Amino acid sequence: MILQVQDVEKSFGGIKALDGVSLSVGENTIAGLIGPNGSGKTTLINVISGFLRQDKGRICFEGKDISSLLPFEIARLGMCRTFQLTRIFRGLTVLENMLVSSNMQNEGLCQLFFNRKKMIMQEKADELAAGEILEFLEIDHLKYEYANALSGGQQKLLSLGMALMADPGMVLLDEPVAGVNPTLANKIFEKVMLEKEKRTFLVVEHNIDILMDFCDMIYVMNKGKIVASGTPGEIQDNETVIDIYLGG
Amino acid sequence: MIFDYLLDTFIYIGIYAILAISLNLEAGYTRLMNFGKVAFFAIGAYTSTLLSIAGVPFIIGLIAGIILSALLGLLVALPTLRLRADYLAIVTLASGEILRLVFLNEQWLTEGPMGIRGIPQPMYTVFMDNYMIFYALLVYGLLLICYIFAEKIIDSPFGRTLKAIRDDEDAVQVFGKNTFDFKIKVFIIGSCMASISGTLFAHYLAFISPDMFFPSVTFSVWTMMVIGGTSNNFGVIMGAVMIQVFERGTRFLKDFVELPVEPYNLRIIAIGLLLILFILYKPEGIIKERKSKGRL
Repeated sequence: MILQVQDVEKSFGGIKALDGVSLSVGENTIAGLIGPNGSGKTTLINVISGFLRQDKGRICFEGKDISSLLPFEIARLGMCRTFQLTRIFRGLTVLENMLVSSNMQNEGLCQLFFNRKKMIMQEKADELAAGEILEFLEIDHLKYEYANALSGGQQKLLSLGMALMADPGMVLLDEPVAGVNPTLANKIFEKVMLEKEKRTFLVVEHNIDILMDFCDMIYVMNKGKIVASGTPGEIQDNETVIDIYLGG
Repeated sequence: MIFDYLLDTFIYIGIYAILAISLNLEAGYTRLMNFGKVAFFAIGAYTSTLLSIAGVPFIIGLIAGIILSALLGLLVALPTLRLRADYLAIVTLASGEILRLVFLNEQWLTEGPMGIRGIPQPMYTVFMDNYMIFYALLVYGLLLICYIFAEKIIDSPFGRTLKAIRDDEDAVQVFGKNTFDFKIKVFIIGSCMASISGTLFAHYLAFISPDMFFPSVTFSVWTMMVIGGTSNNFGVIMGAVMIQVFERGTRFLKDFVELPVEPYNLRIIAIGLLLILFILYKPEGIIKERKSKGRL
C-alpha cells in the first residue's frame, strides 16, 4: 500500500468535515474517491497533501508518517496534487509552468552565479522532459503561449502535465475533468491510464460514470465518512451508494 | 549652472532607480508588499556615514551597509513573511518608522534631529573640479550592476519560481518548493540593494538627518514602480526618471505659468491622481512585463 489513511478526523468549528476516514491505495493503481457535494472529498485531499492539519488520525505515504509535514515536504517525498479550480501560473508561459514544476530543484542562487554550467545542463534536460510530456498531452504547440491564454480544457491538461513533470510516485487529482467536455474528459482519463504503470493516482470525481471505466478501486464518501468501497462493479450494485446518488 | 542642475537630477534619478529595482524584485516579481523600503535605504545611509566619519574607506562602509541591511532584512522577514500580504505591508511600514525614530533619538550616535554634516565624499580630492561627473559615473556604475544582477535573477530558474509564487504561492509548494525560503532570499537581496542606494544618497548630499527617511520615500518608490512598469526592471527605471523630473519640474513651473496655487505643492495631488489613473487604466505601467528570455 503506497498510501494509508487511518481514522482521520477534521472539524471546522462545529462541522465534522472528516469523521474517521480510513482508506488505502495500492501501488500503480487508480483509486477513485466519489461522493456528493460537501461530503469531504477535497478536505481529505487537503489533509493528505498537508494543506490542512488533521485533528486526529495518521497518514502514511510509502511507509513514512507524513501527518505533520508541510506541503512542500510531502511533495519532496514524491506526492503531487492538482487543485479543483485549476491553479496554474498565469503570468508564465506553458513551458515555464512545466519547468517550475520540475522536481530537480534547480533554483539555487549559488549555482546561478558560480555553477552556471550545471544549471544550464539541468535546464536543458528539464526542457526536454517538459517537451515530451506536452507532446504526450497534445498541447506542445502552445509551449510559448502565456498560460492564461489557454482554454479551460487546455489548462486542465497543463495542470496534469505539471503534476507529471514533478515525476511523483503518487498524484492526487482533485476533479481533473470538472467543467471539461466529455470527449476531452475521456482523453484526460486515457492519459492517466497510460501513466499508471509509472505511478499511483487518487482521483476525486463528482461524476460517477467516468470513474467506473478507469478505476481499480473506488471509495464513496458521504458526510465525512467512507460509506462504501470496492471495485467499480461492486460499487455499482451497492445499495448505500445508489441511495446517496439517487435516493438522497 | 544649468549643467550642474541637470547632472544633479541625473544623479538623483540613478539613486532612486536602484531603490525602484530593489522594490521591483520584492513587490513586482514576488508580490511581497514591502512598505518599509526606506528602512534599508536609511541603514545604508547611516552605516556608511558613521563609518566614513570614523575614517573607514567608502567601499568598506558600502559593504558594511549591505551586510547590516541583509541582517535587518532577515530579522524583519523571519516573523513576517509567513503572514498575509496586508500584514506584511503594515509590519514593514512600522519597521521603517521605528528605525527612523531610533535615528532621531539616539543622539550619541546620530546627532538626532540635527543630522550629520560633512560626510566625507569618496575620492573627492582626486576629482575635485569634476566631482559631480565622477559621482554620476559611480551611481550609474552601481545602477548598472544592480540592473544586470536583477535581470540575471529574473531570467533564472530562481526568478521563474518567484513569478510563480506571485501567481499562486500554494501551487508552488505542490512541487516541493519551500516558498518561504524563496521569499526570504529575495527580501534580503532587495534590502541589500536599497542599502547601496542609501549609501550613495548620503555621500552625495554629504548631510543626512532622520527627516529624510519618512515613509514618503517608500511611497515615492512605489509610485515609480507602478507607473514605470511593475515587473519590468527597465520600466521602473523609466518610472524613476518620470517621477524625479516631475517633482523637480514643478518647482520651476511657477516661473513660467501663472497658477493660483504654488505648483510644487500641487505635485503630490498630481502624482496621486496619476497613480490612480495608472492603476485604473494601465495597471501594467508604461512598459509592461516582458517574456523571460528563454534559456538564460
